[in-house]
Amino acid sequence: MSVPMQTIAELRGVTKTFGNVVAAKDLNLSIGKGEFLSFLGPSGCGKTTALRMLAGFEKPTEGQVLLDGEVVNDLDAHHRPVNMVFQHYALFPHLSVFDNIAYGLRQQRPRVDKQKIATKVEQALETVRLGGFGPRRIWEMSGGQQQRVALARAIVNEPKLLLLDEPMAALDRKLRKEMQFELQNLQRQLGITFVLVTHDQEEALSMSDRICVMEGGSIVQVGSPRELYDMPRSRYVAGFVGTSNFFDATVTDSAADQITVRLASGQKVHGTPEIPIDAGQEVCVSIRPEQITLTRALPTAEIALPVTIQNRIFLGEHTEYLARNEALGDFHVLVPRQAELNEGTFNAGEQAFVSWGEGALLILEK
Amino acid sequence: MTKDNGTISKQKFMEELRRYQKGSVTRRHFLGVTGLGMATAVLGTAIPGLRPRPAFAAGDIGDRVILATWPNYHDEMNFEAFTEATGAHVQVNVFGSNEEMLAKLQAGGSGWDVFVPTNYTITTYVGEDLIIPLDTSKLPNYDAGSFEQRFSDAGSVDGQLYAVPKNWGTTGFAVNTSKLDGAPTPTTWKEFWDLTMEGYSGRTMVHDYQLTTIGNALKYFGYSFNSVDEKELADAEKLLLDAKPHLFAISSDYQPPMRNGDAWMTMCWTGDGKQMNVDMPEIAYVLGTEGGELWSDYYAIPKGAPHMDAAYALIDFLLNPEVNAKEVLAHGYPSADARTNALLPKELLEDPILYPAADLLNALEFGAAATLTDPNRAELLARFKSA
Amino acid sequence: MTERGRKALLLAPAGIWLLVMLALPLLVVFVFSFGERGAAGGYVPAFTLEQYANLPARWTAFKNTLILAPLGTIAALVIAYPLAYFLAVRCSPKWRTSLLILVIVPFWTSILIRSYAWIFILGGRGLPALLESIGIDDIRLINTPFAVLVGIVYGYLPLMVFPIFVSLDKLDKRLLEASADLGSTPWRTFRQVTLPLSVPGIATGCMLVFILLMGEFLIPAILGGGKVFFVGNALVDLFLQSRNWAYGSAVAMTLVVVMLVTVSIYMKFISRLGGQREDVSLM
Repeated sequence: MSVPMQTIAELRGVTKTFGNVVAAKDLNLSIGKGEFLSFLGPSGCGKTTALRMLAGFEKPTEGQVLLDGEVVNDLDAHHRPVNMVFQHYALFPHLSVFDNIAYGLRQQRPRVDKQKIATKVEQALETVRLGGFGPRRIWEMSGGQQQRVALARAIVNEPKLLLLDEPMAALDRKLRKEMQFELQNLQRQLGITFVLVTHDQEEALSMSDRICVMEGGSIVQVGSPRELYDMPRSRYVAGFVGTSNFFDATVTDSAADQITVRLASGQKVHGTPEIPIDAGQEVCVSIRPEQITLTRALPTAEIALPVTIQNRIFLGEHTEYLARNEALGDFHVLVPRQAELNEGTFNAGEQAFVSWGEGALLILEK
Repeated sequence: MTKDNGTISKQKFMEELRRYQKGSVTRRHFLGVTGLGMATAVLGTAIPGLRPRPAFAAGDIGDRVILATWPNYHDEMNFEAFTEATGAHVQVNVFGSNEEMLAKLQAGGSGWDVFVPTNYTITTYVGEDLIIPLDTSKLPNYDAGSFEQRFSDAGSVDGQLYAVPKNWGTTGFAVNTSKLDGAPTPTTWKEFWDLTMEGYSGRTMVHDYQLTTIGNALKYFGYSFNSVDEKELADAEKLLLDAKPHLFAISSDYQPPMRNGDAWMTMCWTGDGKQMNVDMPEIAYVLGTEGGELWSDYYAIPKGAPHMDAAYALIDFLLNPEVNAKEVLAHGYPSADARTNALLPKELLEDPILYPAADLLNALEFGAAATLTDPNRAELLARFKSA
Repeated sequence: MTERGRKALLLAPAGIWLLVMLALPLLVVFVFSFGERGAAGGYVPAFTLEQYANLPARWTAFKNTLILAPLGTIAALVIAYPLAYFLAVRCSPKWRTSLLILVIVPFWTSILIRSYAWIFILGGRGLPALLESIGIDDIRLINTPFAVLVGIVYGYLPLMVFPIFVSLDKLDKRLLEASADLGSTPWRTFRQVTLPLSVPGIATGCMLVFILLMGEFLIPAILGGGKVFFVGNALVDLFLQSRNWAYGSAVAMTLVVVMLVTVSIYMKFISRLGGQREDVSLM
């Protein structure tokens, strides 16, 4: 998002502890109006706690939660203009689809006119492509349909913030893909701010405007999917966003804008880290599999390493190779179809070279 | 329970405990009212292996005898002595009403060797062919001449002996005189019912038993305790329905409420009257001058008793005057046997509750078989209870 | 073995049990109800509708039962529901098991003994004495319909608590969050989510208690002082006192029919009320 956004929600120095366990540590984050933000991280990283504090189910131990510029720490969930799509949907089993969706509207005081409720519910059903399903019972709906009902139940209230807690965890892969597209479309169409919690990097990468990567209760990096992919700050982020090859290295020289590290194989490489790094420090270098070139002849690149092909997996558009270098170990290499046509297929046991272009190698905090 | 010095001897404690046990369960209908009459109380004698071996080789009469009787109606020491002497263990089944005993025998397969019917039921047992004639040659301790006739003649039907007397008693009423505000202690059933509907409203109990409750209501009008006359029963019913809102309870378990002061007056059997009077002298036992019930319990042997010899042996043992005297001392109901009475202390024999004055006694009636089985009286009681 | 054979084998024990312990006795009672009472009591074979014609004589017993059984059921429900709710929703798991055991503990003692304890609590030296000490005089509690109601609630409380507890315990707590999230106050959440979803537990508890209450005789006999007369008491008297087995059988058959009718009406009502997929189940 290049246009500066108006902030709709904010976490200011928020910490949450349960007994001795620190679930969230000094979280600082602004959520812009109309953006699609994802909390990404493994289970236990604090992303759900962050979401629940936005929803009002948990009160921060320290810090402030702001909605529309107001501190809402003490505002109960039922008073917040925020709605949630729960992990297993949490649809009311004793109510029809219509009544589930109408539930939120019926809680509003002063009461919303019956006719108006009906119209809004029908609209919401149309939006999630479930027109005519109103009278159905919840148990008559498939998993994907239930997901849409949960979505409709939340958006019908036109919340300032729509929170989604692993909303697609229960769906199969194909359905998940479909829903990802739909969610994205829906978000653009409605203009509601979406906050998604997920442990699935692909989901986060494909849908979000911004991703907030969390680890051990703290935010480790916030940025657009491209920023996180291209400029991860740490090995943790690089590993969580996309796949990568990681190698240990030692910093030999550190200047203002460029440092030099030595790989275990002896080669020295240069790079520009996102974070300040001192000479002598142990670091990690990362290179994405698709940025590696595999050739039979020794290339003219700054660094080229001899490898032995171990394994080959045909993936359609790409072919994935596992190539071993004596000193550094295994490289995952992703060769595009076109490149493979030029160079020909490599077989297991064959000798080859790996090389990469300038700037492809990232120097990261270990 | 504790005395002024705050401590009591072990013996005193046991006496108090025994008294408490007696007081807490009335002789008859408690078990009946709870519907648990079929409950079987088995004394410690039920497990033969745990009993001491008899002093001499007995075994002729088998190893056990099964007795169906009333609660708190025997001296356990006597049963132990019987086992000691014969090798047969006494297994005791406790019942709450004659009707229940009859129902169980009618259903068949009771397994009893000896049971304890009340006078008015015996002709029914004979008529239904449920008990056997007794062979007096097997009851050497039975001396027909030593029993007061009115308490023993119901044992014979058409000149044939079917049952021998156990104990007898009366049905009167107990009244807590401390609540009379100085008025004289009532002496009649008329006063009983009038007091119930006035000064003692909400404090009177009547039996959950048609024979006595209807019988004593009939006495209000001077009718026979045993009446089955429709008009007379109608009068009694009206009295009962009028009195019902004033009753504390319709229950035969009257000792606890009488003792704790919830109830001030109740229909009452001899032994209960005596027990309450001993502990609380302000509770008087009264026999209505109009009359009321006189009853006598018997030992009898049901047809098909599995241990016939043991049955005879047990009855004979309990008829032994020395044994019987111990029984009377234990449960407090009088015996009709002159030989037994000769062994009892003078105070007991002169007790006005156990042995009422002749004129009071003579006004009483034995329950009649027809009264017991009359369906109209049963229905009347049901209407009274459900009103 | 065929599938059908396996099914038959699975059902055989229960089937035989039901046949011997339920169907046959019921058949005996049915046959007896058309007979006559013997001169000395018991049963004499006959075919007469006299016993049924005589049913109005026990109308009061039926009336008392049909008033006090639903009343007792409702009273038990009113007390059991908050308790079950506390145990299932509010109580910390650390205490829950111990508290649940406390609810069951009274069941380890005979209802007879437990009801006797109430005689002393409700008797003149119990609660009324306590009330007198704070100036409320002359309160009679024992041997009243109220005492019977207290005994019923006390005796049947666990039967009501457990099904409700189970239905509340398995209630997905996220539904409550969802409701709050959608703007519902805690009270409205209870009314719109918790309560409807615990209907199966309520229905089961009410049915258990109601059916057992219809046949109750012990509590009215002990705490009602014999003045509160249920059909159960009428049956005890008919079988054990007046030994009118034929009439007793007719009353028993009528009770069975009344119970079946009441329960089926109740089931219809509940299924309409709840609109549940899960039918009313016995725990």
